[in-house]
Amino acid sequence: MQMFKELNPLLHSELRLGVMSILISVEEADFLFIKEKTGATSGNISVQLEKLNEAGYLKIEKGFLGKRTRTVCRITPEGTTAFAEYVEALKSYLEIKS
Amino acid sequence: MEDKILNEKESLELISKMIQNSQQKIKAGNGLTFLVFGYTTLAISLLVYFLLKSTHNDWFNLVWLGIPLIGFILLYLFRKDKPKYTKTYIDRVVRNVWTVIGSAIFLVSFTAGFVRIPVLPVLILLLGIATAITGLVIRFRPVVIGGVLGMYSFVLPFVLFGYEQVLIYGICVFIMMVIPGHILNFKGKNANV
Repeated sequence: MQMFKELNPLLHSELRLGVMSILISVEEADFLFIKEKTGATSGNISVQLEKLNEAGYLKIEKGFLGKRTRTVCRITPEGTTAFAEYVEALKSYLEIKS
Repeated sequence: MEDKILNEKESLELISKMIQNSQQKIKAGNGLTFLVFGYTTLAISLLVYFLLKSTHNDWFNLVWLGIPLIGFILLYLFRKDKPKYTKTYIDRVVRNVWTVIGSAIFLVSFTAGFVRIPVLPVLILLLGIATAITGLVIRFRPVVIGGVLGMYSFVLPFVLFGYEQVLIYGICVFIMMVIPGHILNFKGKNANV
């Protein structure tokens, strides 16, 4: 009997998965870009980015652009591996269902 | 988007939607670098041509230094209020290609100050290579055509002698960078509508 692979709970949430999907397809993304693409509130994004950062899935760099602060996020190799494993696990669920 | 749990199908749809949305599309302003350096090179070439032709003083070749100086200042001013919100792998490849070839251009130009080498044909060839690679990486045919035409036109300064070489150099850069730059911007503007 084929077993379900466990879905990583850290990625199995809409906003965190959305953020990781954005970061997997670009080299780095600005906080404002993530906000625009996900449509989430700044507060919520900050909380989820911090969770992903604590897990070592992404790197957050804070800097300045002129007088404004700028937050840039980048996926780490650990994040890429976790994302690939998550997609593999998803596939195992969908294969069994279909 | 919220912090809610998704089912497997929704997860997959979300991943595909986000990846699609983040893909780099041709946008207005993409041709800015080509236009800034293309027009600056054209203007400086014309200036150098008239100065050399009228005075026959080789020291006026120092005016060429105006290309990087004016080019980078203009680029900074144009981009100052338009920060880029993402960097893609394509951006990195294009930036690195121009960094390497830009260094080669600097090296050739610097050497030409001390040793007699056919500097303009070599510069046209190098600029053509970088432009053609950029076009291939961003998958935009007018830039590829501009680059390839530039590469082949490196023979022109050999055919012409004297100060007309400088004029030809400016025209080659115009064909290689300014025309594709305008097409790139035009397509980008229309894509945004």
